[in-house]
Amino acid sequence: MGCLCSKQKPVRTSDAEENAKAAEIEKRIAQEATAEKHIQKVLLLGAGESGKSTIFKQIRLLFQTGFDEAELRSYIPVIHANVFQTIKILYDGAKEFAQNETDSLKYVVSLENKETLSRGNLIQVPDCAQYFMKSLRRVSDANYVPTKEDVLYARIRTTGVAEIQFRRASFLFQPRGREQEERGVYKLFDAGGQRNERRKWIHLFEGYDQALFEDETKNRMMETKALFDWVLKQPCFEKTSFMLFLNKFDIFEEKALKVPLSVCEWFKDYQPVSSGKQEVEHAYEFVKKKFEELYFQSSGPERVDRVFKIYRTTALDQKLIKKTIKLVDETLRRRNLLEAGLL
Amino acid sequence: MSVAELKERHEAATAAVDSLRERLRQKRQMLLDNDLVGYSRTQGRAAISFSSTDLVCCRTLQGHTGKVYSLDWSPERNRIVSASQDGRLIVWNALTSQKTHAIKLPCAWVMTCAFSPNGQSVASGGLDSGCSIFNLNFQIDRDGNIPVARFLSGHKGYVSSCQYVPDDETHLVTGSGDQTCILWDVTTGQRLSVFGGEFPSGHTADVLSISINGSNSKMFVSGSCDSTARLWDARIASRAVHTFHGHKGDVNTVKFFPDGQRFGTGSDDGACRLFDVRTGHQLQVYQQQQQQGDNSADSPIVTSIAFSISGRLLFAAYSNGNCYVWDTLVGKVVLNLGAVQNSHEGRISCLGLSADGSALCTGSWDRTLKIWAFGGHRRVM
Repeated sequence: MGCLCSKQKPVRTSDAEENAKAAEIEKRIAQEATAEKHIQKVLLLGAGESGKSTIFKQIRLLFQTGFDEAELRSYIPVIHANVFQTIKILYDGAKEFAQNETDSLKYVVSLENKETLSRGNLIQVPDCAQYFMKSLRRVSDANYVPTKEDVLYARIRTTGVAEIQFRRASFLFQPRGREQEERGVYKLFDAGGQRNERRKWIHLFEGYDQALFEDETKNRMMETKALFDWVLKQPCFEKTSFMLFLNKFDIFEEKALKVPLSVCEWFKDYQPVSSGKQEVEHAYEFVKKKFEELYFQSSGPERVDRVFKIYRTTALDQKLIKKTIKLVDETLRRRNLLEAGLL
Repeated sequence: MSVAELKERHEAATAAVDSLRERLRQKRQMLLDNDLVGYSRTQGRAAISFSSTDLVCCRTLQGHTGKVYSLDWSPERNRIVSASQDGRLIVWNALTSQKTHAIKLPCAWVMTCAFSPNGQSVASGGLDSGCSIFNLNFQIDRDGNIPVARFLSGHKGYVSSCQYVPDDETHLVTGSGDQTCILWDVTTGQRLSVFGGEFPSGHTADVLSISINGSNSKMFVSGSCDSTARLWDARIASRAVHTFHGHKGDVNTVKFFPDGQRFGTGSDDGACRLFDVRTGHQLQVYQQQQQQGDNSADSPIVTSIAFSISGRLLFAAYSNGNCYVWDTLVGKVVLNLGAVQNSHEGRISCLGLSADGSALCTGSWDRTLKIWAFGGHRRVM
């Protein structure tokens, strides 16, 4: 038994409530927008396995708290999977090589026999193969805890969009001696895991700076050339700055001396001049020039305001990455000051 | 069998399929003695007179800080949900143009949004390869955000399009960049059916858009980068009911005709087409003739389409900011919403008609949404 009655809310009150709610929402949106304004957003592009995820890991180690023990352990299945993948690829490769040779014992896969591994450029051996195969006993130990370096080498395909945010303290020399410590906040995005039509979602990243990763060693050179060319021509990136990272320079050094650059179609007209370190430098300059040519070819006259820089990197070398990020930071700040009319 | 031999057989098979397809196309061409416009002409139909006072922009919804990519009307109560590049979903009261909810998405790259049939939930999908469901009645947390009620994961590529099954709270269909469509059970998060993928009659490129038949919710159509639209029966995932060829570019948008017997498509080739479900034939092409006469890369692409309640009008949004209103029977453009006063300043990326057909909402890369109402003596068309 009981009686229930409710008072009809006067229309004006409910309107006022709606108004208040809407105003609250608008305030929040404005706040979030100003908070995000000073974050420098960079999109990483590049062929698979070109080193983008490694950069993410480096940033965690350099600018964030790094990996704790639980996270290090979480990489064990990944590293073991990498080893199994390598063994399978070597085994399949050995079978194929052995088919064409009479001495089939030559290619038997074992810890000592490096014959198959040395033909690594003909089968798709992942770059981490050498590193893990060298430490097989350590990695398979029951109490194995991966080191930071192990984690950097561990390879797992990125799915979805990975993002990482970090701040960098830096001093920027300002006119009139007003030196200030500025904390630059960067947010990096890696959407490389999507295996589909990039053109259907790339416009989501309009307004972001681009960092293009190129793996200098694989046959993906042509794929990257096409990607670079395509991205440069996109209308939504007319005002975007580009940073080209020629990555895996350490591997490039090794390979440049063994395999002539002219093997790649794009570098058909390459002529080696000397040998040793000089040769490597010369080869690198040649590749750099080719990319610069491509950049200017693909950029119309109205895009002269874009900043374009090429950096040589080895994603696994922490010191080098730290230095590179410092250089990138300076370039971007200079660009921002220029745009603001202060330089 | 060696790799070389396999390759040869594959090539021979592909050539056989291509030649069969060509023969089919020619046979169809022979049977197609007329199109919709031709027939209407013989019936003496004239274009309806439509002037710029008949459809007026009565509201501009501002608040997004990035390009608007997608919008959806609620089935009743006149609310709109919109998704934008700034990583937010905003729910608007269409009558007062006030915001009732603003949801900051966990993954900022959203490409699609949809209202549930009872208007209590919204779904969104994008580059995170999944579909997030938000219950609008949930408590907002300290940052003013609504937590994700459910996350539908399982796609291997971006989610380009999602729609709830009409009058069914618990089922949702998504289209994805991994070339498949999936029917989900929202309450459990399970994939009930996967359309395409391993099965041979699925799309061979990214799925960009889906539309569920309003009269028979077991059927839906999907449009893809492989230039085709495919009709699916939700009960039979293993093969598409029919594949519709004709477009020469990505099919960006598909929409069922109000009576569910036909559907329209819009594509990168700048044309809209009307296809018949029962016969599988193309009924009509709606395309503006090129003024310049050359097929330059600047020819506008169709981004989104919608039909009026009677189907007499086809609204088509293009990448150059135009929004043509086509008279579907006569095949003529009767109004360009991109050229009237108060029109959008950028590309119109999405549009949709309200449930009762009295208003059209357009969303644009200029960060606003506009509501257009039928004015004058016309209420609904």
